[in-house]
Amino acid sequence: MGNLNLKINGDHHPVDAPDHWTLLEVLRYRLDLTGSKQGCDKGDCGACTVLVDGKPELACLLLAGASEGREITTIEGLMPAHRAAGGTGADPVQDAFDRAGALQCGFCQPGMMLSTRALLNEEERPSRERIREALSGNLCRCTGYTQIIQAVELAIHETCGEPVEHPAWAPDQAPWGDAVSTVPGRKGTGSSDTTQGEQA
Amino acid sequence: MLRLPTFELHKPTTVAAALEAAAASGPATRFVAGGTDLLPNLKHEMIEADHLVSLAGIESLRGIRLDGDDLVIGPMTSLTDVASSELVQERAPALAQAAGVVAGPQHRNQGTLGGNVMLDTRCQWINQSYFWRSALGFCLKKDGTECHVIEGGKRCVAAVSNDSIAPLYTVGAKLVFQSLATPEMIAAGAPEGVQTRPVPVDALFKADGAYNKKVGLQELLTEIRIPALPAGHRGSYQKLRLRGSIDFPQLGIAARLDLDEAGVIVHADVVAIVVAARPVRVKKAPDQLVGQTPGTPGFEAALAELCDLATRSVKALPNIPGDTEWRQRMVPVLIEDAIRACV
Amino acid sequence: MAARDQHGPGAPWPEEGAPELAATNRSSAEGFRAVGQSMRKLEGLDKATGAAVYADDIKLPGMLHAKTLRSPHCHARIVRIDASKALALSGVHAVITGADLPTKYGVIPWTQDEHALALDKVRFIGDEVAAVAAIDEDTANAALKLIEVEYELLGAWLDPAESRQNQLTDERPAIHEGHKHGNISKRVELEFGDVEAAFEAADVVLENDFYFHSSTHAAIEPHCAVARESADGLLTLWSSTQITHYVQREVSRVLGVPQSRLRVIQPNLGGAFGGKSDPFSLEFVVCKLAQLTGRPVKMLWTREEVFYAHRGRHAMNMRYKSGVTKDGKLTGVSADILIDGGSYSSFGLVTTYYSGQLLTGPYDFPAYRFDSTRVFTNKPPCGPKRGHGSVQPRFAFEVQLDELSEAIGMDPIDLRRVNDVGEHTETVNGQRVTSNGFAACLDAVEEQSAWKERRGKLPAGHGLGVAGSMYISGTNYPIYPNDMPQAGIQLKVDRSGLVTAFTGGNDIGQGSSSVVRTVICEELGVDSADVRVVAADTDLCPVDLGAYSSRVTFMVGNATIDACRNLRKLICRGVAEEWGIDPSRVFLGRGEVFDTENRGNPKRNITTRRAFEIAEARCDTLGSTGSYNTPKLGGDYRGGSIGASPAYSFTAHVVEVLVDERTGMITVPNVWVAHDCGRALNPMLVAGQMEGSAYMGIVEALFEDHKVNRFGLHAGPSLLDYPLATSVDCPDLHALIVESIDPEGPYGAKEAGEGPLHPALPALSNAIFDAVGIRLRKLPFTPGKVLAALDEKRAREAASAEEAPSC
Repeated sequence: MGNLNLKINGDHHPVDAPDHWTLLEVLRYRLDLTGSKQGCDKGDCGACTVLVDGKPELACLLLAGASEGREITTIEGLMPAHRAAGGTGADPVQDAFDRAGALQCGFCQPGMMLSTRALLNEEERPSRERIREALSGNLCRCTGYTQIIQAVELAIHETCGEPVEHPAWAPDQAPWGDAVSTVPGRKGTGSSDTTQGEQA
Repeated sequence: MLRLPTFELHKPTTVAAALEAAAASGPATRFVAGGTDLLPNLKHEMIEADHLVSLAGIESLRGIRLDGDDLVIGPMTSLTDVASSELVQERAPALAQAAGVVAGPQHRNQGTLGGNVMLDTRCQWINQSYFWRSALGFCLKKDGTECHVIEGGKRCVAAVSNDSIAPLYTVGAKLVFQSLATPEMIAAGAPEGVQTRPVPVDALFKADGAYNKKVGLQELLTEIRIPALPAGHRGSYQKLRLRGSIDFPQLGIAARLDLDEAGVIVHADVVAIVVAARPVRVKKAPDQLVGQTPGTPGFEAALAELCDLATRSVKALPNIPGDTEWRQRMVPVLIEDAIRACV
Repeated sequence: MAARDQHGPGAPWPEEGAPELAATNRSSAEGFRAVGQSMRKLEGLDKATGAAVYADDIKLPGMLHAKTLRSPHCHARIVRIDASKALALSGVHAVITGADLPTKYGVIPWTQDEHALALDKVRFIGDEVAAVAAIDEDTANAALKLIEVEYELLGAWLDPAESRQNQLTDERPAIHEGHKHGNISKRVELEFGDVEAAFEAADVVLENDFYFHSSTHAAIEPHCAVARESADGLLTLWSSTQITHYVQREVSRVLGVPQSRLRVIQPNLGGAFGGKSDPFSLEFVVCKLAQLTGRPVKMLWTREEVFYAHRGRHAMNMRYKSGVTKDGKLTGVSADILIDGGSYSSFGLVTTYYSGQLLTGPYDFPAYRFDSTRVFTNKPPCGPKRGHGSVQPRFAFEVQLDELSEAIGMDPIDLRRVNDVGEHTETVNGQRVTSNGFAACLDAVEEQSAWKERRGKLPAGHGLGVAGSMYISGTNYPIYPNDMPQAGIQLKVDRSGLVTAFTGGNDIGQGSSSVVRTVICEELGVDSADVRVVAADTDLCPVDLGAYSSRVTFMVGNATIDACRNLRKLICRGVAEEWGIDPSRVFLGRGEVFDTENRGNPKRNITTRRAFEIAEARCDTLGSTGSYNTPKLGGDYRGGSIGASPAYSFTAHVVEVLVDERTGMITVPNVWVAHDCGRALNPMLVAGQMEGSAYMGIVEALFEDHKVNRFGLHAGPSLLDYPLATSVDCPDLHALIVESIDPEGPYGAKEAGEGPLHPALPALSNAIFDAVGIRLRKLPFTPGKVLAALDEKRAREAASAEEAPSC
C-alpha cells in the first residue's frame, strides 16, 4: 500500500510518492490521470486546475501529501459522475464546450471546464461578468474566450432553459448541433445521434 | 516540469504538534499554508528547506469569528472565504476587497490570509529559476552580493507585495504568533512550552527585502485580530495591475476614513505597498484629512494636497517588473481613488 | 493532381444534378449537405473528457527522462565540457554534447546554422549545451549541475542597429563566424514602379517611424518529445510539432537515420501558432539518447525553456512613406525595415521577404519599394508567429493609411474602399489575386460597429478604429525545392461502411482533421460518425508539408476532394457494373446510392455501405489517393515566388476602445472581425480562428513584450511575467464571415487562421486616435506610453494655443 491515500473522483487511491511531489505530478505520472495538464510549472496558467472539495485549485501548487482527506475531482471524473447520476453522454459542460467551439487545442480546457463546473454547481444562472471572473484564472491561448463564454452560456441555457444569444457567425441558426448529453429528469436536451442532428 | 527540491513533509493536526515539528526539524524548516507563494519560491530555489510543516490539517487555524470586540481570522482561512465573509466586509471592508483581488480565483481558493500576510517580497531580479538567476550572477536577496535595482545597494529592496497587508495596517490589526521556546530561550529564563507573542501589524516589517519580517521562521502565525472599529469606519483598497486577474500588485493603496455622526473625518490613514521592502504609511494623511467633511471644497483641496504630498514620500523603485515611472505616476491617482471610494 | 485538374468550387452534386435535395439551410441551397455545417470537432469530446493524448501524456515502459544544460552567457565560445561527474551519478544513463550531434540543421536548407547542442559557441542565454538522460527528472536535474563547462566570453550584440553596422572585432566577432555577411542574416531590396515619381504625383505624402516589439506564441502546452528505438533500429519520435515532415527530414539528416526508418508522430497538440514549426533541439536529443541508452526517452521543457526556444514575432523598426491624392488614391509606398532576428536563421529568409512582399494587397498602388534587413543578435531566435513577417508591416502601413485619411479629410473606411485591389487581378509585385471579398468585409464591420453613427462622435476616451489586410492560403514555395505534391492523402474504405483518411496534415487544434472529415462527408455522403482521420504519422500517412502558412484547409482540402472523387469513381463503377448501367447514372451521396434514371426500383436504391460492399466485391480492396500542388505562381524575379499564394484571404476589423486618461489604461470592449475565408467549410471552426486571431493581435499590443534585459537575459520567462490576457481582459469578439467562393479553393475555401490577426493592432491604434487624439506608432501600447503621448499632445496644444493670435 502507498504512503498516501488520496480520494480522487470518488475512489480511494493508495499511492506511493515522495514528499516533494505535487498533486499534479501524482495525478499525471503515478495515477495516469493525464487529463490534468501542466502549462506553466507554477500556478500562472490554470491548466492543472482540479476541484478540491468542490473548489477549483491548482494541482501544480498543491503538495500531494497535503491533499489527503480532500475530495479531488479531475476532468476524468465529470463524465462518470454524470453517468452515475443517470445522465447519458458527457457532462453537459463538456458537451457544450465541444459544440460551441471552445475546444481548439483543448489543452487548457480540462481546467477551464472544471472551473465552469464549480461555478455552475454554485450558481444556476451566473451573469456573463460572473462567468468571466470565475474563469479568469484559466488562460486560453486559442479562442480569445468568446466561444468559451458562449459554451458556458449554452450549458446554462440547457440546464435552465434561459435564452442564449447567437454568435455573430451564425446569425440565422442555432450555432450548436444537438447535445449528446442528457440530464436525468429533464426532457428535450436533444437527440443522442449527433450526426443526424448535424446533417439534418 | 519544473520540480520541487526534495524535503520531508510534516502533517500535524494541532498547533502544538506543528510547533514541535518545526522545532525538531531545525532551521531549514518552513511552514506551508496554501503554498501558492512558497511552492514557486521553492521551485525557483529562492528558498532552501529540508522540512516543510503543512498547516492544512490544523482545523483550529481556520475560520472567522468574533472574540469580544475583536474580529479574529484564522490564518488558514482561504482568501475566497475572507473576501466573501459578511463579517469581514462589514468590519474591515478594505481587507475583504484586498482578499478578493489577490491573484486569480484558484489562488484565492487555496491561498490563505495567513499565507498572504507572510508572503515573501518580490523583485524583477529574483522571482525566476536558479538557472536564470545564475545568468545574472545572482543578487542580494539570495546567493549573490550585488543589487541590480540600486547600483551599489547594500540592502535588498525587493517589494512587499501582499495585498492584504495594506488594509491590515489601516485597521490596526494584531498578529498573534506562537512558537516553542528554544533551549537558548529557556536558558535565558523563558518558560518552557508554547510562547505567544502578539505583534501589531505595523511592527511586523523591516526594511530588508531579503527577509522583511521581524518574526522568526519558527514562529507560527495563529491569529489575525482586528479590533472593533467605529460605526463610521470606511475602508478601501486599490490595486494597480495590468490584467484584471492573476497579477501581483504593481502598487497597492489602502485608505481608511472614520467619519463621525456629522460626517466629519475623525481618523484617516493611507498605506502604500509594492514601493519598497515594507509598507509605507502616508504620514500626512491625518493632517490633511482629519476635520474635513467629504463633499466640501475644503475636503477637495485637502485631498488634492494629500495626493501631491504623497508622491514625495511614496517613491516607487524599479524593483518589480513593469514601468516604474507609471507606477510612480499612479500613486496620487490610486490614493485619490481609495479615498473617494471611502466617502 | 488537383491543381492541374481543377474541380471547381461547387458541391459534388449541384442542384441540377440532384434537384430533389431540399433547401433546408443555406448550404444545401447550393447543393451542400456537410459543407457549411458547424460539425463538432473530430476529437472534441476526447479533449473535453481528458482522454485526448498529448506528448507528455505518453508513458513507455522503462522510459528515461532527459534534461538540457543551457548557456548562462549570451555570446561565448565553449572551451571545455567535462561531464564525467554527471555520468558517474547513480541513475544517469547518458550525457551528450554538441560533438554527439555535429550536423548543422535548420528548417530552410539555404540557411542551416543550428546545432542540437552547441558545438563550439553559444549565441544566447538559454542556448542548448548538453543533455542528460536519467531514471527520473530529479536525477537528470542533479546531473546537469555536475556538468562543468568552461566558456570564453565574447562581446554581446543586443542592439539590432549595431548588428547592422557590423563592426566586428576579435572581442566581439560575428555571431555566426564565417557567415558571408557577418551579422546580416538576410537583406531583400525590391522595387516595383517608379516610387519617387509616385510621391511627386501625390497631394499628401507622409513619412513616419514605427516599431513593432517581439512577442511569442505561448501555446499553453510546453514542447515535449518522446523517442524509442527498437532493437532493429527503427526510431519512433512523438513530438509536439506542427510540421511532422520537416522534423522527419532534419532528424533523419542529423542522426544519419534514413527517413524510412524514422517514424515521426504528432499526438494531440496543445497549441502552436507557429511556435512548433522549427525542428527543435529536444527532438534530436531524445532520439540520440534513445539510441545510446536503448530505452525510451522523454524530454518535457519547462515554461522557461519554451521562452528561450521562442521563434516568435520579430521586432521590427520600420520607416514608411506613402503618398495619396486628395481623392484618396494611393500613389506609392516605400518601406525601410530593420528586423531583429535573434541568434539563428530559423525561417528568417522567408520573414525578410514577407516583410515586404505581403503588403501589396488589399490595396492597389502603382509603385512600391522595400528594403528589409534581418540581423542576428544574441537573443532567443525569432521565427514564424501567426501572420509570419507581415503583421508588423501591416501595423505600420494601416496606421499610416489612417493618418493619410485624416490628412485629406476622408473617412478611413472610404479610403480603403477607394484603393481596393479587387478580384481576379495582379498586385504591383506580380502576385495573382483570385477571389476577393474585401469590400464586403469593410461593409460588414462598418454596419455591425455602427461606424457611421459613432466614429468621431463618441465621448472623449471612447473610439473606433478600422484596418484591413490580406494574407496567403499557403504558398507555392515548398521550403525545399521539389516537384512532389505539397499535400497528399489516402482513403481506405471497406464493407463496414467506415471511411478512413490518412493525412500528413497536422491538426494543431485548428481543426484540420475535422475539415478532412467534412470533405469526405460531402463527397461520399457518409455520416460524420463513419469517418476516421489518421493524421500526422509519417509511417501511416502520405507526406504533407504541415500546419504553417495557412495552407492546410486549402491544400489538404483540395487533396481530400481529389482522393474522394477518385474513390467515388471506383465505387460508382462497381455499382454500375452490378446494375449493368453506365457509371454516370449512379448517384452516390447523402447516405444513399441510386440509379438516377430508375430511382423507383428498390434494388437500385441502396445504402452507401451496401455500395461499398458491391464495389469491394467487384473492384477489389478499396482505396484511393489524392494530392494537391500549387500552380506556378509569382512574379518573374528573384524571390517573386515567396509569398505567391494560390488564393488570398481578406480581413477588416473595427476595434472599439476606452482609454482612461488618468491611468493610461486601455480597455477593448468589442472587436468586429470580418474575414473573407472563401467559403466556411465549418463556420464554428472558422469563427474560432477569426476570434482567436483577433484576440492574439489585441493582447500582444496591450500586454505582451518578449524582451531581454541588460544582461541579454530574457526579462521574464514565465506566464506571470509574460502576461497572457485572461477572460476578464478580453473583448467580446464578433466574427463576421464573408464568403467570396474562390475558384481554386476546396469548395471555394481559403484560409482563416492567420489573416484575421493582422488588422487588430493597427485598428486598435487607430481607435485610440479616435478616442483621445494620440497616434501610437510604437508597440506595445503600455499605459505609461499612453500617458506620455497624452502629455505630449497637451503640450503641443498649449504651444499652438500660445502661438495662435488671441481674439
